[in-house]
Amino acid sequence: MTACVRGAVLKMIKRTTLVDSRTSVTDVKFAPKHMGLMLTTCSADGVVRIYEAPDVMNLSQWSLQHEISCKLSCSCISWNPSSSRTHSPMIAVGSDDNVNVGGKVQIYEYNENTRKYGKAETLATVTDPVHDIAFAPNLGRSFHVLAVATKDVRIFKLLPLRKELSSSSGPTKFEIQTVAQFENHNSQVWRVSWNITSTLLASSGDDGCVRLWKANYMDNWKCTGILKGDGSPVNGTSNQIFNSPLGSANQTIQNSLNGASAGRYFFPPLDPPRAGSRWSSYAQLLPPPTLIEQTCDADSVNSQLPHPRRRYTTQPENEWV
Amino acid sequence: MPSSNDGWSFSATAQVQRHRSTSTECGYIMCFNNSATAGTKMEKMARVTTSLGSNTISGCTMFCHLDAPANAISVCRDAAQVVVAGRNIFKIYALEEEQFVEKLNLRVGRKPSLNFSCADVMWHQMDENLLATAATNGAVVTWNLGKPSRNKQDQLFTEHKRTVNKVCFHPTEVHMLLSGSQDGYMKCFDLRRKESVSTFSGQSESVRDVQFSIRDYFTFAASFENGNVQLWDIRRPDRYERMFTAHNGPVFCCDWHPEDRGWLATGGRDKMVKVWDITTNRAKEIHCVQTIASVARVKWRPERKYHLATCSMMVDHNIYVWDVRRPFIPFATFEEHKDVTTGIVWRHLHDPGFLLSGSKDSTLYQHKFKDASRPVDKANPEGLCFGLFGDLAFAAKESLISGGGDSNRKPYGSGGDRRYPIFFFKKPDLTEQFAHESSALSVFETDLESSRMDWFVETARRYLLSGKPFGELCDHNAKVAKELNRPQVSTTWTMLRIMYSDPGNLATATSISKGGSIPLMNSFNMKEIAAGGLGSESRLDRGKGEIRQDTIHLDPGNSLINNNDENEETEGSEGPADYLFGDAELEDDDLYPMEHENPTAEEAEYSLPQEAFPLRHEIVDNPSVPEHLQDKVDSPHVSGNEAEAVCLTPIKSFSLISISQPLYESHLPASFFSPVVREMLQHYAEAGDVQMAVSVLIVLGDRIRKEEHWYTSYIDLLQRFELWNVSNEVIKLSTSSAINCLNQTSTTLHINCSNCKRPMSNKGWICDRCHQCASICAVCHHVVKGLFVWCQGCSHGGHLEHIMNWLKSSSHCPAGCGHLCEYT
Repeated sequence: MTACVRGAVLKMIKRTTLVDSRTSVTDVKFAPKHMGLMLTTCSADGVVRIYEAPDVMNLSQWSLQHEISCKLSCSCISWNPSSSRTHSPMIAVGSDDNVNVGGKVQIYEYNENTRKYGKAETLATVTDPVHDIAFAPNLGRSFHVLAVATKDVRIFKLLPLRKELSSSSGPTKFEIQTVAQFENHNSQVWRVSWNITSTLLASSGDDGCVRLWKANYMDNWKCTGILKGDGSPVNGTSNQIFNSPLGSANQTIQNSLNGASAGRYFFPPLDPPRAGSRWSSYAQLLPPPTLIEQTCDADSVNSQLPHPRRRYTTQPENEWV
Repeated sequence: MPSSNDGWSFSATAQVQRHRSTSTECGYIMCFNNSATAGTKMEKMARVTTSLGSNTISGCTMFCHLDAPANAISVCRDAAQVVVAGRNIFKIYALEEEQFVEKLNLRVGRKPSLNFSCADVMWHQMDENLLATAATNGAVVTWNLGKPSRNKQDQLFTEHKRTVNKVCFHPTEVHMLLSGSQDGYMKCFDLRRKESVSTFSGQSESVRDVQFSIRDYFTFAASFENGNVQLWDIRRPDRYERMFTAHNGPVFCCDWHPEDRGWLATGGRDKMVKVWDITTNRAKEIHCVQTIASVARVKWRPERKYHLATCSMMVDHNIYVWDVRRPFIPFATFEEHKDVTTGIVWRHLHDPGFLLSGSKDSTLYQHKFKDASRPVDKANPEGLCFGLFGDLAFAAKESLISGGGDSNRKPYGSGGDRRYPIFFFKKPDLTEQFAHESSALSVFETDLESSRMDWFVETARRYLLSGKPFGELCDHNAKVAKELNRPQVSTTWTMLRIMYSDPGNLATATSISKGGSIPLMNSFNMKEIAAGGLGSESRLDRGKGEIRQDTIHLDPGNSLINNNDENEETEGSEGPADYLFGDAELEDDDLYPMEHENPTAEEAEYSLPQEAFPLRHEIVDNPSVPEHLQDKVDSPHVSGNEAEAVCLTPIKSFSLISISQPLYESHLPASFFSPVVREMLQHYAEAGDVQMAVSVLIVLGDRIRKEEHWYTSYIDLLQRFELWNVSNEVIKLSTSSAINCLNQTSTTLHINCSNCKRPMSNKGWICDRCHQCASICAVCHHVVKGLFVWCQGCSHGGHLEHIMNWLKSSSHCPAGCGHLCEYT
C-alpha cells in the first residue's frame, strides 16, 4: 500500500491488525494528539473500542484500553478535539440503527474517578439513522460544536453546565442547543467535515452536492456554497457563472471586503435560486477521463482556469458591494 | 419467484457446452414451468443435463433443529435432500417448500460404532443412493440408500490411522472416492474393490482437504496443515505434480472453480481466502480476501464467476459471500447461526439463490440469497474532508458526480453490466448488484481567502510577539494584518496599542490607523455592547455608589462621546459602522453604567479566576510596574467605549484623549480595559481565530490574564501547519507553567562512553567501568559536554571551536598522532 504525502510517495507497512471486533468495524478515528497515540473503533455490534499504543516507536503494540457498549449498532464516532484540561475526553457515537426509536447520537465522557467512559448525554432529537458525526475543532472555546449527518444536516452546541460540588464525580451535564438544521440536500446526508478553524462546515449527500455552511457573528448558520462534483452549476444559472468566472473585478472586491475568519460575515437573504450563483466550481475531475474531456470544454469557455484542481469561489452579491 | 426462474433458464442454456464435454450424464430431465422461456429455447434446454433438476428450486429462508451439532453437510444431486453428519448425528432431510422434513436416520443399531462419528460427508453427484463419510477414527464408510435393510452401510475402509478429514467423489467417475487424513496420506478407493487402489503421500503434514478438479479428469488438489497445496495426477501416486505454499499456517479448505479450469480457492488459518490461477507455470495468486477469522470452508457460488462463500472455524458465526474482486467488504452475509458454522453447500450446482448450512448450534439452515444482509448498504458511500489549507476533497460514486451533465455515460448497472455474461440481458436482479465499484474524487480549492488557511501561516510567521516595546509590536502586527487583508485584526492591534500605550506613543499609533483608512467594522463592539447592556440591567444596583461618582467624573467625556457619535454618523457612510451603532442604540445613560459593570459581569459570566482586575489593585500595582506598564495608566482614563470610538474616527480621537488625559489619571488604570479586551479575545477565539487571541495575550504580557486552553489550541494548530519555530516561540513566551513544560519533555540525552561503548551513568563525565573521561578535547584536555567534532581519519577530536582554531594554524592532529587532519 502506498500513500502520497506532498508529492512524496510513502510506502505504508502494516504494523498490526486489531482483531477484537466480531462484526464489521464501521468507523475508526485517532484520538486528539494531546491524549497520546490512541485509536478508537466502533462496530456494527455497538461496541466502541479504544486502543492505545503505549510506545509510539512500536506500532505493533496496541492495547485495548476501553470497551464501551452502546447498545445500538454504531456507524460513526468523533472525538472531541478540545485540549482544555477542564474538558475531559469525550466521544460522540452515531448509530445507523433503524429498529429502535430514540436518540441515535450518544456522547460518552471519560470519568477520572472511575477511569471509565460513561454516557453523558443522548441527543434525543436525532432519531433517524446517523451516517456521520464530527466535533468542530475546539480552538479554545468553552463549549463544543457537533455536526451530525442524518437525513439532514444538524449542528448542535453543547454547553457544559457547571458541575455542582456534590455531583462532581458524575458525568458533566450539558445544555444542548440545536443551532441549525438544514434539509437542503433533500436526501440522506452522508458526510460532514469541519475546516481546521471550525468556521466552515461541509456536508455531502445523495444529491451529489457538497454544501458549505458558515455562521455569522450572530451564530446564524447559512449556506454559503454548493459544489457539484463535475463543476456544473447547481441551480441553472450556468451561463452567468461560466462566462464571468473569477473575474478580476470580483477578485479585488472580494479582497477588499475580506476580513479574517473571525471577521465579518454578512449574508444577504439567501433565496434558493441565488444560492447557485454565489458559489461555483470549475475544473476537472481527477479520475475519469471522460469528465476531463468534458471540463476541457468548460475551460475553453473559461480560459482563466489553468489550474488542475477545482476552485470554488464566491461572487459577492451586489447589494452590499 | 418467477423472476429468478427466468434467470436460471437462461443460465441453464449457458451450461450446455460444459456438459456436452462431460457427456457421461444420464437423466435428461427438463423443466418448462415457465412458458415464457420454452419455445425457442427448448432445443437447447433438452441438452441440459443436471442443470435444473426435476423442477425449479424455490423456497424460503428456513431452518430446523438438529439433535446434535453438525460437522458437515452435503446435498443430493437433485437438490431435494440434504445429509447432515456429525459426531452424534447422521440424518437425511428432505427440502420442502417451507420446511425441512427428516427422511432418514442413518445412525442405527443399539451401540453406534465410532464409524458413525463423522468428520465429513459427501453425497455422490451422479448416484443419488451413494454417500461417503469420513469418520473420526480413521474409517471411510460408504452408504447405499438403495439397500432394503435399515442399516445402509455399504463399504468400510479402515486404512487410515488417524481422523479422516475429507472424502471426495470423483465428479464424473462413479466408483472413484478419494480421502484425505490427519495421518498425512490420501487414498483413492474404487468402490468395487475392498481396499484402496492407490495411496498418495504428501510427505507433508496432515491433509485437511482433497478436491477433485471438476474439469481435469485426473487432477486433484490437496491442502495441508503446513500451508502447502499440492496438485496430484490420480495416475501417479509416487509424487505430486506441483506444490506451492498457499498460506501461513494450515490450509483448511480448497475449492475448484466450477467454470474456470485454472482457478482454485483456498482458505486458511491466516484468515485469508486466496484464489490461485494454476494454469501458469507458478501458481499465481490472483485474488485475496481478508476475513476476520480462520477460514473453515470455501465454496464457489454457482453461476457467479467471482463469488464464493466462506464460513469460519471459530469466533465468527456468519457466512459470507464475497465478490473476490472487492475483497474488503462481503457481498452478502448470512447471520442466522448462533455458533460456528461447520458446513456450507450451495443447494444446487447451477442455482446461486440458495445456500444450505449446518452449524455447531445444532441447526440446519436454508438461506435464500435475497434475504441475505448486504453490508455494503450500511457502508457510507461518500467521503468528504477538509484539508489543512481549506481545500475540500469529495469522493462519491461516479454516477452521482458526473450526474446530469453527461448524458453519454450510462448510469451504472443499467444493462450491459460487464460482470455478468451476455445472456443476462434482462433487467438484472437487484439482489445481484454490488454497490457501485468506482468512485470519483474531486478536490475543490477555495478562492475565498477567509476559507483558505494561507493567512494563518503568513500571520504566524510574520507576527512579532516579543523582543520590542509593546507599541512597536502592536504596530508591526497591525501592519502584517493589514497587508494580509484583515482590516479588523489590524485595527484591533492598533486599538490595543492605544489602550495600553502612553500618550506619547499614541500619536504614532493613531496616525497609523489613520493611514490605514480602513473603515472599522467591529462585530465585537456590538457584542460587547449587547453583553454590557444585559449586565447593566441585572447589576445596576450593586455598584451604584461607584457609578454615581464615575458618571460625574465622566461628564465631560460624555459630551465628547456624543460628538464622536455624530462624527461617526456623518463619516460612517459605510454600511457596517452604521449598522453597529444604529442597532446598539448608544444612550448615554446606558453607556456609563455598562462600562463600569463589565468587570463584575465578566467575572460572573465567564467564571474566570479571581485574578481579574478590580480597580483598587491598581494602586498597589502602579509603583511596582516597570516603565511602560506605568505608562498605560495614563492613557486609559477614557472608557473602553471611547477608545473604540477613537478607532472609529481616529483623527478626532487623538485630540479627545489628549484633552481628557490629565483629568482622570488616577481613576482609570490600564487594567480597566482588560474586561473589554478579554471579551474581544473571547470573541476571536470563539469565532475560530485563536491565533489572534493568543498573539494578543502574548504581546500584552502581564497586562492580562492567561487562558491556557487557547495556548494549547494554538500550539496544536501551529504544529499541524508544521510551524515548529513559531510554536516553540509561543511555548516559550507563555507564562503558564503547564504550557512552558511542553518544552521540557523528551529532553533526556543518553551518552555512551567513547572508550567502552557502555551507557554512562548520569553522575558525571567519567565512565564507571573504564574510569576514563568519556570524550576529551584534544586541544584543551577537558571533557566535551556538547558538540564533539572528530577527525574520521585518526578519530581524535574535541570542542568544535578549539579544533577549528587549531586547524587554522596547523594541519596536524592536535593529539599529536601525526595524522594530517582536514577540517572542512
